[in-house]
Parts: sequence; C-alpha cells; structure tokens
Amino acid sequence: MTFVSNSTGAFYERSLSQMSDLRGSLEQLQTQIATGVRITRGSEDPAAASRLRTLARTDRLNAVQQDNADKLARDLSEAGDEVQGVVNLLSRARELAIRAANDTTGENGRAAIAEELAQLEEELFDRANADTLTGEPLFAGTAPGPAYIRNPDGSVSYNGNGEVPTVPVAPGTELERGLPGEQIFQFDLNGTQTSAFTVLSALSAALQPGVPDPAVAAQAAIDGLDAALESSTRSQTVLGTRLAWVEVIQDNQVDRSLTIAEQQSELGDTDLGEAIARLQQVQTALEASQLSFSRVSNLTLFDAI
Amino acid sequence: MPGTMFQIGRSGAAAARASLDVTSQNIANAANPDYARRTLNARELVGVSATSAGVLNGVRIEGIARFDSAIVQQQARSSASELARADAELSALRDTELALEQSSLFEGLVEFEAVLTQLEGSPLEPALRTAAVESARQLTSTFQFANTTLGTASGQVQDSASIAVDEVNVQVEELARINQGLANARDGTAGQAALLDARDAALRNLSEQIGVEATFDKRGAVNVRVLDSSGSPGPLLVDGMATNALTSATAADGTLSFDVAGSAVSPSSGALAGQAAALEAQADYQTQLDDIAAQVIARSNAAQAGGVDIDGNAGQPLFSGTDAADIELALTSGSQLATAPAGSPAGSTNTSNLAALVASLGADDGPIAGTDSLLLGLSSRIAAQDVTRTGLAAIAESAEATLLAQTGVDLDAEAADLVRLQQAFEANSRVMQVATELFDTLLALR
Repeated sequence: MTFVSNSTGAFYERSLSQMSDLRGSLEQLQTQIATGVRITRGSEDPAAASRLRTLARTDRLNAVQQDNADKLARDLSEAGDEVQGVVNLLSRARELAIRAANDTTGENGRAAIAEELAQLEEELFDRANADTLTGEPLFAGTAPGPAYIRNPDGSVSYNGNGEVPTVPVAPGTELERGLPGEQIFQFDLNGTQTSAFTVLSALSAALQPGVPDPAVAAQAAIDGLDAALESSTRSQTVLGTRLAWVEVIQDNQVDRSLTIAEQQSELGDTDLGEAIARLQQVQTALEASQLSFSRVSNLTLFDAI
Repeated sequence: MPGTMFQIGRSGAAAARASLDVTSQNIANAANPDYARRTLNARELVGVSATSAGVLNGVRIEGIARFDSAIVQQQARSSASELARADAELSALRDTELALEQSSLFEGLVEFEAVLTQLEGSPLEPALRTAAVESARQLTSTFQFANTTLGTASGQVQDSASIAVDEVNVQVEELARINQGLANARDGTAGQAALLDARDAALRNLSEQIGVEATFDKRGAVNVRVLDSSGSPGPLLVDGMATNALTSATAADGTLSFDVAGSAVSPSSGALAGQAAALEAQADYQTQLDDIAAQVIARSNAAQAGGVDIDGNAGQPLFSGTDAADIELALTSGSQLATAPAGSPAGSTNTSNLAALVASLGADDGPIAGTDSLLLGLSSRIAAQDVTRTGLAAIAESAEATLLAQTGVDLDAEAADLVRLQQAFEANSRVMQVATELFDTLLALR
C-alpha cells in the first residue's frame, strides 16, 4: 500500500497551529490597541526600547532642569529687584548730596540729610544681605552668608567670596546664579577700592552738625555716588541679560520636552490606524480559516458509508 | 475440489476479518499521537503436490506490520529536540528580561541622577537633600530587587533542569525495559508493534529533554547516545538492557554541568541544552548587574570623599557593600551629602563636587549607560533567539507533519478500507457458499 496518506492527526495539528498563530497575533494587536503601547517588552524591538529609555532619561532630566531654570529665573529677578532698589536709593543719596552741597542749605537741613543718608545706608545693608526664597544669600558668592557684616566700629565689610554658584539648566549648560556682592557694591574710585557703604556713611558723617566744610564734602561725595550708581546699574544690566538668557533656555526646554514627547509617541505608541486595519485583516483570516476548518473536518468518508 | 475451495474461502474470510480488526484498531487510535498505523500482511498459501502444478490453499496471515520510517522519526526527533532547546532558552531569557525590566533599575538610576541635578539648583534646601538620600535608598532596594528576581529566574531554570534530568533517567529506564521486551517479542505480533510504539514515544520524550542519537538492531532494540555539542560521540545512556544515569551538578554561579557514567557531557540540543545555555547567560547578566552596582558604589563614594558636607566636614561614603546583593545606604541624613568641594566652609552653595558626581553617574562608561547596554544586550539576544525559534518551529512542524503522514492514521483511507474489506469478507463467504453448492451438486448426482 504505497499512496500518500493524509493523516487525520496531521490535519488537525496543522489547522490548530495555524489558527493559534492567527489568534496570537490577534491578541497582540488587541493589547497594543487597548494599552496604546506598542512595545511592552524590550525584546519586541530592542533598538526602539533602548531609544525610549534614553528619551525617558532626557525627559526626566529636562523636567529637573526646568525646575532649576524656574528657580534660577526667580533668583535672578529677585537679585534684579534688590539691585533696582539699590539704584533708587543711591539716586536719592545723590540728590541729597547735591542739596547738601548747596550753600543755601542750613545746618538743620544738613542734619536731616545726614539722618536720611544714615537710613539709606541701613537700607543698602539690608538689600545687600537679601536672601533667596530658599534662604540662600543672594550676594555672598558661594559663601554661606551673610554677605556683608557690620564691624564694631560701624563700618561694613564683605563676608562672601568671589565664586559664583552655577546651576545646570540644559545638557552641558550651567548658568551662573547671580553676582557676588563685591562686584555690585565695591568699586574703584580714583585708584582706591571703596564701597557704597563707605561713601554713604562718610557723607553722612561729614554732614553732622559741627563738622567743618560740609558743602565741600558733599560735593566730593557726588563722585563716589556716581561710581556706586554706575557699578549698580552695570550689575543690573548683567542680571537682566542673564534673566533674558534663562527665558530663552526655558523656551528651549519646553520645545525639547515637546520633541521628546513626539519621539516617544512615534517610537512607543501604537499607530491606531495601522493596528486596527491589521486587526481587521487578521480577524478576517482567522474567521476564514475557522470556516474552512469546520468545512474540511466535516468531509469524512464515514458519512458516505 | 470443493473441499479446497471451501478452505480457500474460509482462509480469505478469516484474513478479511483480521484486516477489519486492524482497521478498527487504526480508527480507534486515530487520535493517539504515539500510534503508528498498522496493516495486516497476508501471503498466498500454495501447497506443493507431485501430481499437479500445485495445490492452491488460499491466504495466510503473516503478521501485523507497523508503518515506520527510521529516517523520518530521526528527523522529527532531532527537530523537536532543537525546538525544545530554543524554547527552554527563550523562556528562561524572557524571565530574565522580565526580572531586570520590572526591577526598574534604569528608572531608579535616572531618578537618582535627576534628584541630584535638582539639588544642584538649590544645594542647601533640606527637602531636596532628603529627597536625594531617599532616592539613593530607593536605588539600593532596586538593586537588591533586581538581584533577587534574577536569582529567582535562575533558580526556576535550575529546578526545571533538575526535573528534566529526572525525566531523562525515567525515559532511559523505560527504553531499557522496552529493549528487553523487544528481545522476547515474536516478530509480526501486535505486542511487538505496541512495544515499538512505546519505544518511539520514549525516544521522542527523551529527545525533548536531551538530544540523542539512536541506533537500532534488527529486532528494533535501541542504543542511545547523548549528542554532544563537541561533535564527538557522547556516552551511552541506553546500552541494550543496561542504562547509565545522567547526573547534573550546579556550580556556584548557577551554571550546570552534566555527566554520564563518569564522563562529562554537554548536550547539543533538547531542553537541558537550552536551560544550560540560559543559566550561563543569567550568570553573565548577574556579573554585569554586580558590576553596575559596584560602579555606583565606587563613583558615589569617590565623589563623597572629594567634598565636604553641609557642615563643612569631609564627605562620608554614600553606599556600603560591593555588589547588587549587599549595596546599602551608608548616609543617615541629607546634610551629609558632600555637595561642595573639599576646603569649602560650612553652608557653602558651591556645587562643583555634586556636579562631578552627576557627571560621573551619567558618563558614557557610567552605570546608567551600563544598565542601558545590559538591557539592550538582553533584549537583542531574545529578539534574535525568537527569530531562530520561529525557524526551528517551522522545521519541527513540517518534520512532525511528515512523520504523521508516514505513520499517522488517515480516517478516509481507513473508511475506504472498511468498505473494501467488508466486500472481501462478503466475497469470501460467497466462495464458501459456492463451494457448498458445488458439493451439494456432486452429492445430488444419481
């Protein structure tokens, strides 16, 4: 008996494996559609999974860098506000100095000016020692603060350092957080290092009643105040420029997070249109093979005997 | 001669009846995967006579023949064996992938890096310092979780392998018993055919666990050798009625070695080969995981040692331990994080030391990149294995189909046989009836 046999067992085996293959891909498509995730395990697409990991990391770091940039922007605008206050009070001091230099201002008038100047010096001291919202000194460099301390003799000296703390705000980009106080409040006057505090308190002292030649001293102090104003406005510009830079970086960060989300979706999300079309296709194939299976398995000679 | 004719008809009817029995047996076993189709061999019976050209005596039942093809059987066995190897390795690797992906080690490392980066923004903020230390603590438990799940995955494979070794030895004993039965069985009997079915089934079960080479003697008894991956003939598992047991030994790193009767053997296919390969891969991934943990410990502690904490004291080690199993957080509070470089005063907002740590964690040769490459290597290996497995499954399926076509029961053919044999039986009865009528005619002669 040598004919090619068509084993019944083989037929069932074959039909079963074909249908379970179809059912398997049907279920995978269904999972993809239901979860919206194309890759549930790395081995389904190793390269895309690795790319997705890198994107997730970039996304996480970008979020943190956004936080850092927000904080940096707050710190910089706070520092800018403080320096603006300093500029205002120095302008006021200059006005007062001009008035004191006027010979028509009497002794009482000068005493009042001296009083106001002393208060301005106090305000300057407070502003120079301002803290960020998180309690770090704004103008002490990387030193723990306070930025300026008042010595027993009433003079003020810098307690910070010249280092500027930096903040990572983008991959490979670290921005300086502010300016050290010595760059804002200290300056060179005719070859001598002096500070806004010294200028103010010296003027205030010179206008006290009984001190000779107050008008001349006031005239002389205007140069110092001009230098202090110039230093402050320069610092204000630096802080403003930095703030503008941070804003550019914040815009970039938003762009970057959009790009990341786009790429993540491209790599890892189910393409619904395609998935549904393929689901339909596989479903049709499965239905057809189920139908033909039931037709063929009904064909048996035993029905004819 | 009516007597002879009656005899011929009777033998024909008997042969048809016996063939019908065999057909019924085939139909009854149509769904039995171990059953090979039987037929009845019959032979013309001719007597020798001195006086005439010969005496016709009808048909004689020779015995039951069983459809068999050693080559097709061998192909089906070896392809099933290869498939079992790929399946075992793939499923173990998938468990490993699940263990490493579920542990979220990569995410844990990125989170640690992110929290440290955030701390750079406001280094003195106590909440952020605490968050950084807690994230480090989370990282240690992530490492331990990954280590445990990897160990569990490896333990499961070891358990499966030890069950497979037992199964091999059961089948080996079974084959030796079958060999003994075959030595005693008479040729052409139903008993011999059943023994041969049992032999092929045992060989198939054996091949799924371990790739073997079978050689048959003329009575159908089998000698079984392990197919060694080196290509040289492996040791005998079944030698006639004698057996050699397969034993396995587990090394400290979890890898397996096998031994038959004192000689080492490395199976080339079968589930055991796949499990052994998977265990080697898992040992390799364990080493990589430990290396990553060691890197995290070393880089974090080196950074700490190069800086001062919030009180201006020299930084203390961030982690203790040496690998993924024993990594522990060594710091007790966020203030101990050495964010500032050595020599800085207490409360310094200088973060250059912290920046160095973040950079060394995120470096191209750092632990984050290492974890990504570990996961990428594993998933690529699985993807490649999956392709191999699909190919092997197709081969095994077609070999199985060929085997079934050769030895399986075709119900349509059996139905046709039923009709044919029924007719043969009726025809032979008719022959006997004619013989009787002839005899009656002779007796009626007056």
